[in-house]
Amino acid sequence: MTVIEINGLQKNYKDHKVLDGVTLTVGRGEIFGILGPNGAGKTTTVECASGLRKPDGGTLRVLGLDPQTQRRELLQRIGTQLQEAALPDAIKVGEALQMYASFYDKPADWRALMEEWGLAEKRRARFASLSGGWKQRLFIALALVGNPEVVFLDELTTGLDPSARRLTWGLIRDMRDRGVTVVLVTHFMDEAEALCDRIAVIDNGRVMHEGSPNELISAGQAANLDDAYFALTERTV
Amino acid sequence: MKGLGNVIAIELKLAMRDPMSAFFALAFPAVILWVKMRNGGTLPGGLPTIDAIVPMLSVFVTGLASLVVLPATLAQYRERRVLKRLRATPASSTMVFGAQWAAHMLLAALGFALLAVIGLIAYGLSGPSNPGQVVLAWVLGALSLGAIGLLLGAVVPSGRAATVVGLAIFFPMVFVSGAMSARETLPESMRSIGDWTPMAPAVQAIRAGWEGQPISLPALIVMAVIFVVAGGVALKAFRW
Repeated sequence: MTVIEINGLQKNYKDHKVLDGVTLTVGRGEIFGILGPNGAGKTTTVECASGLRKPDGGTLRVLGLDPQTQRRELLQRIGTQLQEAALPDAIKVGEALQMYASFYDKPADWRALMEEWGLAEKRRARFASLSGGWKQRLFIALALVGNPEVVFLDELTTGLDPSARRLTWGLIRDMRDRGVTVVLVTHFMDEAEALCDRIAVIDNGRVMHEGSPNELISAGQAANLDDAYFALTERTV
Repeated sequence: MKGLGNVIAIELKLAMRDPMSAFFALAFPAVILWVKMRNGGTLPGGLPTIDAIVPMLSVFVTGLASLVVLPATLAQYRERRVLKRLRATPASSTMVFGAQWAAHMLLAALGFALLAVIGLIAYGLSGPSNPGQVVLAWVLGALSLGAIGLLLGAVVPSGRAATVVGLAIFFPMVFVSGAMSARETLPESMRSIGDWTPMAPAVQAIRAGWEGQPISLPALIVMAVIFVVAGGVALKAFRW
């Protein structure tokens, strides 16, 4: 069953074409990876899909809804973790979860979520005092607090140390195992290879390749996704 | 408005945790009260100074919370991308405005209450002659000044800029509007300028209610109009 359907998506910033006909589909319960170099249009694609940006052309349906005209309804059913987003410095972990839960019609039990994601010990810690790993964990919990069917994670593990990254991978698999569809924007090939059921490689505002990690590896005649990525995008290290 | 009460409570806690906000809303007006009352006495016309100064400073503290603290909070939320994260939730801009307004006005109300308690205990303040009218006038004042603060917070680029702009609007306004020095003691020229500021109707209406003077209907209407116009423009101009 298709959860996200993107067809010929266009987006321009001034004269610059950021998205030049992005086409992809994401099935229910998948971890779907979006890879590509900086400025390729990964974040813009995700921001269009989550209703944060208005596309200039193409069609876009998430859970059968138009993210522009049915934005409110869609926002009740998706969760988002954004690059470079923040919370007020002085807000405590428990308060943030409680507040975000109150925005949704059918929220998850935020206390249970806090326990599940290991945030209970940090309940009274202020946002500003959290390390990068704890902040990311809180952002994942906030993305899940509305009981979403689809979660968008944009460079979730950038800036995390290797052990925090591994831990986060486990958390993302847990999400998928609960039936949540996960769209993961990442720069890390090992991460995409380890986690993703399917991957789209975006460059110059288009999807250059789409398939499972193994399909991409054989298409690139490479030993791993990292080599396949460079073979397929014809870039040299 | 799902969870509005929840958000207001948390935003109020955040404001109280910020040393700057707490100082501006609670400590600063109390210090001004003490400075003003060192000479004590009565105003021209025979009114004890304290019975004018507490209602006046209630506008002072509401103005500080509305025009300085609120826009700085909102602009800082934008600068730090707190608003961007909120935009990805079902929370609406009206909800963000409502919560910010209510939390900062509760902060101002705390400041007002503190001034009244100090006034009663230390300076023999008389209670308000017409409490209902004081409340009505204060709420309208909070709505009109709050809407101007929301407008500032909607358009200024950064928290720092909001503080500078807010203070640049606030300080001249409190001096000429009679929120800091009683209108009776201001030179005629200053008073005539001050009457054009959005703080003047609040000062007049709250003082009238406190002293038992008849309420000035135009003052109330002016405040309601400022609220509707500034609030409407703020919602239009708002960027996450």
